[in-house]
Amino acid sequence: MFSIPSLDQNMKMIYLITSIITLIFFTSLVPNIVFADNLKSPTFEVQMSTINITGGNKSNEDHSINLNDTVGQTFQGRFNSDGFVVQAGFQYIHSIVPFSFKISNLDIDFGSLVPGVPSTRTNTLTVTTGSAFGYSVKAIEDHPLRRVSGTVATIADTSCDLATPCLQTDANQWLDNTRYGFGYNMSGTDVDLGDFEDSNFYRPFPVQNVDEPAIVMSKDKMATSSAATVTYKINIDAAQAAGTYQNSIQFIAIPAF
Amino acid sequence: MTKKYLTIIFLSVLFTLLSSQKVSAENYGLSIYPPLLRIHIKPGKSITQVFKIENLSSTDKTLITSIIPFSESDNFGNPILDPKTITPWLSYFSLANSQIKFNEPFNIAAGASEQLVLSISIPEDALLTDIYATIIISTYENSLTQSFQGSSIRATLGSNLLITINDQAYPDTILKIENFYPLDNNYLKVGNLYFVDSITPIKFTALVSNEGNFSAETKGVFRVSTSNNKPIYLDGVLPVNVIAKSRRAILSIDGNNFEYTPSLSNIGPHQITLEIKTDNSNTSTTIEVFFFPLKLSLGLFLTLLIIVSVLVITSKSSRKSIDTQ
Repeated sequence: MFSIPSLDQNMKMIYLITSIITLIFFTSLVPNIVFADNLKSPTFEVQMSTINITGGNKSNEDHSINLNDTVGQTFQGRFNSDGFVVQAGFQYIHSIVPFSFKISNLDIDFGSLVPGVPSTRTNTLTVTTGSAFGYSVKAIEDHPLRRVSGTVATIADTSCDLATPCLQTDANQWLDNTRYGFGYNMSGTDVDLGDFEDSNFYRPFPVQNVDEPAIVMSKDKMATSSAATVTYKINIDAAQAAGTYQNSIQFIAIPAF
Repeated sequence: MTKKYLTIIFLSVLFTLLSSQKVSAENYGLSIYPPLLRIHIKPGKSITQVFKIENLSSTDKTLITSIIPFSESDNFGNPILDPKTITPWLSYFSLANSQIKFNEPFNIAAGASEQLVLSISIPEDALLTDIYATIIISTYENSLTQSFQGSSIRATLGSNLLITINDQAYPDTILKIENFYPLDNNYLKVGNLYFVDSITPIKFTALVSNEGNFSAETKGVFRVSTSNNKPIYLDGVLPVNVIAKSRRAILSIDGNNFEYTPSLSNIGPHQITLEIKTDNSNTSTTIEVFFFPLKLSLGLFLTLLIIVSVLVITSKSSRKSIDTQ
């Protein structure tokens, strides 16, 4: 009926298959001919007769970005004759779009506070880098929330939950309503979401003349209307002295150079 | 009855909506151009530069401007401002505006723009050095009402000034490339040789360190070459400023880490070179990479293993059936 292959036949078959696969494998590894003078990548093409990193025009394939070097006699000549050379903006970004910074609300008014009941407010920070390549927004407060009249009393900056303490540059969970203080959460574009993991992660503000401002938004590329929401949270103890508490928070938006 | 109630409710809602006041929180919006000013200047020379600022908010704003020095930055060119520093060279800066002075409040109407005419005068006896500063414009702090409970927000934005004071157009710069290596751990390193899979895209990171006393701009190329030194891939380096005594990430022309996607033909030793050329010096670093078809080999090995196993099992079961017969 059916002939059962012997062990020898099986071994021959294994050798045959192995040989074929090996042959295909090594055939695929035979290097293609490489034209060294065709210096072109999917994103970039260098239009020079020689491999040289200065001089010449460079452009991408659809010519939407064109860069040119200004190294050489032009700069040197201008410097020698005028005694100065001024370069405004970035050589590689042909744009006159300004660097802009917007804040949706400058008055974070919490109104009356109820002990043990956290109160939150939000505003939005928006950055457009324009012709700058990257930016950072830092935050700092003049002092912790301080009573405006009577003897000095403050609402301390939060240290978040006891089991998950937070720092000025390290957000952590603040869910416990028996933990009191003032802090902020960040969400949205160009926010370090590895730090502000979710809406329950808070940080205390750094204090002016004591601490360094903390980065709340940043990007190492151009940004167009990058928007982030700041959520401010206060939770006070029943023992908190009655009164009106105020402070000032400064957001500093600086382009990268 | 129901109709009467519905009418009352409808009218109540209508009047409530009509009588409600428009609540508009005070917002802020300001823009500045240019965001960077790079100046090479000889001692004894003066220049002026106009900065255009525009009030993008819906209300008039009181602003205040000043110059803040800095000497450090992070790896992405974000300056670390030092408002406490008082240096003699701050006196080189002044505003040529008739109405606007440093550290004095000025008004700008909603939607209006203003020009800050910055004058920089370098004395004859100025030190030949780099000076770095940011011209900042902040909202002027207003006093809050006694009933306001919470935080008043102040905003500041700025533009950076990188100034080289020297008799030469291109003072000496010392740049060094550091930490040039593949990312993502998709490699095996033996000595100085990186073994990398030949069909997986590989990213590279690098830093440039400016050990000189003057700023330099990164210009250069990222190149992948064969062992015969034949280039097979080339990408430009994003030109960015590296201030004196600082480090900066080197990025590709599109602002990302350098990335190379090898093909099946890229087997064997290759050289990955990063070259930086400043106006008067060159630096380059090369790493040796051995591309080999790891994933393909594993796939083939597994395929062979399965085929061999199937054949062996088939053969054994055949023998058993012969033995039992």
